[in-house]
Amino acid sequence: MDEASLINAAQQGKVDAFNELVLAYQQQVYNLAYRIMGDPASADDVTQEAFISAFQSLPRFRGGSFKSYLMRITANGCYDELRRRKRRPTTSFEDFGEDMDEEANPALINGSEGPEKHAERREVAHMIQGGIETLPPDQRITLVLADVQGFSYQEIAEATNVSLGTVKSRLARARGKLRDYLRSQGELLPARYRL
Amino acid sequence: MSRMFGRRTGEQEQRDELLSAYLDGQLSAEEQARLEARLAADPALKAELDALRRTVALVRDLPPVPVPRNFILPQEAVRRQPVSARPQPAGRRRRAWAAPFLTAATAVSSLLFVVILAGDLLFAGARMGAFAPAPEAALEAEAPQAAMEPLPAAATVVVEAEAERAMPAPTTLPMPTEAPKAEPAEAPVEAIAEAPAEAAETLEEEPAEETGADASTAAPPAAGGAPIEEPPTPAATASPHKAAEVGVKAGEAADEAATEADSDRATADADRASEAEEGLALASQPLARRAISPWRIAEVILGLLTLGLGLVTVWAWRRAQRASTADGQSPPRHKRG
Repeated sequence: MDEASLINAAQQGKVDAFNELVLAYQQQVYNLAYRIMGDPASADDVTQEAFISAFQSLPRFRGGSFKSYLMRITANGCYDELRRRKRRPTTSFEDFGEDMDEEANPALINGSEGPEKHAERREVAHMIQGGIETLPPDQRITLVLADVQGFSYQEIAEATNVSLGTVKSRLARARGKLRDYLRSQGELLPARYRL
Repeated sequence: MSRMFGRRTGEQEQRDELLSAYLDGQLSAEEQARLEARLAADPALKAELDALRRTVALVRDLPPVPVPRNFILPQEAVRRQPVSARPQPAGRRRRAWAAPFLTAATAVSSLLFVVILAGDLLFAGARMGAFAPAPEAALEAEAPQAAMEPLPAAATVVVEAEAERAMPAPTTLPMPTEAPKAEPAEAPVEAIAEAPAEAAETLEEEPAEETGADASTAAPPAAGGAPIEEPPTPAATASPHKAAEVGVKAGEAADEAATEADSDRATADADRASEAEEGLALASQPLARRAISPWRIAEVILGLLTLGLGLVTVWAWRRAQRASTADGQSPPRHKRG
């Protein structure tokens, strides 16, 4: 079945059809959630809730890009969770299993890349993720959608329900702050990654 | 370090916006040409651009994170959300739209109500001329008396209040004999001016009641208005013409009460009262009736409308709030496995 038929069947309430869509998109949804939330546990929660919410509001889905629809729901879920966390800052980031760090996943080791380079890449990724987490939610979501997911300005505007101009300025601020953050961490970065 | 981030000037942000858009190819040809000219001349700006470009490249190079598990929905989790629950989001959206709309409608309606009420009072004031403060006290003193009479309908209130004054003819006849002296015009005038106002206030307070109930609550002030004609007695003139005028006003007051009650009997009674007067009285009476009732009707309708809208608005906000609380609740969670 192609995507349109799956969506159609899922709109009729067929969970099996929807689950095929879940399998097709869970990687992207989880990645978006992980980059925005910054920890596996929150990313897992947001992803699961996003799929449930997507299924429940599917009858409202009127064509267009299903991927954008999913990403919008996920971004909203992240935004809500970040706001909730801001209201009730109970657990620190460190409490969310550092040891579960998925960038440590050996499956990610590129065959052509030695263990040293892999460790270096991990370190850089870790630092960038830390920089992303210093950004306010709006900018963070915009940056992840643009530079991790590769969304166009137009797609981001639709997903976050703001104007193109707002997308442009949020993205510029996010990138500028991240650049300043990486500069401030300069000496911690491997030489070839320094700004 | 703190200089680096946290305190960013507007100029810096403008510059970054330009550079960021440039990286994404979002500048117009003209903007792009101008920026490239600046970049060629300004190594510092070029360095900023390069730093920004490297930052973006680093983010883009972030490795994809593998999913820790499959996120497929269990059948029973979805079954818990029956088909009937699915159209709900659309309904919620409609209610969310309805609440602010109803709020606005209520605001407009109550504003109109106030405007109409103010207009009525102003026009009544203009119609009746100057106000005399003294009769007001008299009205207050007399009104409760009339109100206390245990009567079923407004028409009877009028009739019995008159009967107490003891005379065969309705309302107006006692006046020539009992109230024979000067400045009499002002007292009845005030009485009439007050009566509609009070009636309007009563209506405003209890707009939800049936018209019949409204009329009976409105009646006492009107009935109270009639007896007031007595207090000015010492100063009153004996002029039959003036007395007749006074009587006319009393008839009008009674007539108003009758109109409010919407009772045939009341109208007949009031008509009899006015028929007892001279022709000039008859001429002025329909005019007064015509001038007042549209205002009154508008007030009643708007009052009821405002109250109704207000209640619906409160209900709509409650529903919207409940819906949003329900939205905020997490959907059924599943243990990570």
